[in-house]
Amino acid sequence: MTYRNLLGAIALMALSLASARAEIFDYARYPNLKGQWRPIGGPGRFDISKAWGPEQEAPLTPEYQKLFEANLADQFAGGQGWDRDWTCQSPGMPRVTNGYGQMEFVIAPGSVHILTQHIHDNRRIFTDGRDWPAEIPPTFIGYSIGRWIDTRHDGNFDLLEIETRGFKGPRAYDTSGIPLHLDGQTIVKERIYVDKDNHEVAHDEVTVIDHALTRPWTVMKNYQRDADAQPYWREVGCSENNNYVEIGKQPYALSADGLLMPVKKGEPPPDLRYFKKGK
Amino acid sequence: MRACTLLCTVVAAGLSTASASAQIFDTAKYPNLQGQWRPIGGPGRFDMSKPAGRGQQAPLTAEYQAIFEANLKDQAEGGQGTTSTYKCISPGMPRVTNAYGEVEFIITPDTTYILQDHILDDRRIFTDGRNWPAELEPTLLGYTIGKWIDSKGSGRYDVLEAETRGFRGPRVFDGSGLPLHEDGQTIVRERIFVDQADANVAHDEVSVIDHALTRPWTVMKNYRRDPKPRPFWTEEYCENNNHVFIGKEHYVLSADGLLMPAQKDQPPPDLRYFKPAAK
Repeated sequence: MTYRNLLGAIALMALSLASARAEIFDYARYPNLKGQWRPIGGPGRFDISKAWGPEQEAPLTPEYQKLFEANLADQFAGGQGWDRDWTCQSPGMPRVTNGYGQMEFVIAPGSVHILTQHIHDNRRIFTDGRDWPAEIPPTFIGYSIGRWIDTRHDGNFDLLEIETRGFKGPRAYDTSGIPLHLDGQTIVKERIYVDKDNHEVAHDEVTVIDHALTRPWTVMKNYQRDADAQPYWREVGCSENNNYVEIGKQPYALSADGLLMPVKKGEPPPDLRYFKKGK
Repeated sequence: MRACTLLCTVVAAGLSTASASAQIFDTAKYPNLQGQWRPIGGPGRFDMSKPAGRGQQAPLTAEYQAIFEANLKDQAEGGQGTTSTYKCISPGMPRVTNAYGEVEFIITPDTTYILQDHILDDRRIFTDGRNWPAELEPTLLGYTIGKWIDSKGSGRYDVLEAETRGFRGPRVFDGSGLPLHEDGQTIVRERIFVDQADANVAHDEVSVIDHALTRPWTVMKNYRRDPKPRPFWTEEYCENNNHVFIGKEHYVLSADGLLMPAQKDQPPPDLRYFKPAAK
């Protein structure tokens, strides 16, 4: 009788565990991405293994190579070229993977959030098994679907595969203004994982498929975890400390004394026709 | 012997569960705050139960009532008064509880995130049992420590109590420009919970203790969950607005992208750094 009771209790416990299964999220099955992360080598270049600008050797089509060179000429003249970050516009994808601020990976049931307080760099990656929506309203960050993979077949997930679609532009890869195609048809594929040998390093292998490229462009992003278990999270306000002003489509700078200045030699002042003329 | 084997298995399973408990997250122990939330009645006022502006009956000190009145006069003349969100500066706390964008609550074992793509409205509420840091870097959103409470003794958490400190300014309660004290000594206490009668309504009881107030000001925020299980998340871009700041002066852009005065008889910007047009 005691034995029967015991069996019954075990059966009940098993049933109870099974019914609660959907509510249990086992963090031990996911890579430890907790904490605060920073890009190794800084966020300055899309391919951090190569030098800035033309040295990135982006596989651009001739049309977009010309746009890139025109952008560089504009930047050398004092302008901003293809880059739009100076207006506090989101870097968009894939540029946010450069890691412009302190990064946090938030793993939750059904989603992963990559939070980077910079401009509008936060990403929401759906890992709930959904398909692509019939329509995706275009955004700078795009719409990301991810899947956790157990590559070692040890019962634990060690890789997050992500695909991102549904873009608008203009977007650039980095400050040098390497352009993505204006058609917004970019597809970004990522593989995010913790380094096997150094658990304080994470990688994001980013592959970009884009009509401005002659072939897919793959780079490796590397992030270092901050050693502080309770790191300080900075509050970054792009608009608060921005010394650029856009009037119409023209960029201007603000002087230290708060006055409008040209950013390029010979740049005309803004049109002031809507102001009353002084007597 | 057989019974002993079974018992041993149960005991072993119990031990194993205990050792893994730090990694196991039982979402059923927390209120269901999944999905996308919007403020009931909109984000326009700090106390949604009262009319805007003076109708809020904020318990301001005489000094801050005078600042508020001056702000209202400025707003009536076309200015922005004490508000600064038009410059795409974070609303800060407690104003972000007004919920200017689509709200998402993400509950993890150590932190609850309240994400809103608006300006910089995302909140990180630490629920890992930490103490207040020795020093707090003042921010607009402050530093928040929370604690999950099982108020009914049911074995499940139903209230998130949060306290936020460590502010800088200027901050206001809502678009009417009701000011908080510039000393940044505000303390915001919150109780976040799901409505007992309607599981698709959540509440945030917000109490503000501030030197601009004669007594703590407590209001109830109410949010409704979007019924769609997979709602669309809007990408906000505050900076894509028609406000321009040159030094301390605020201008607006016309539909054709030209600079216009924001207030009657406002002088044009000083153009001394531009070369005079050739005659």
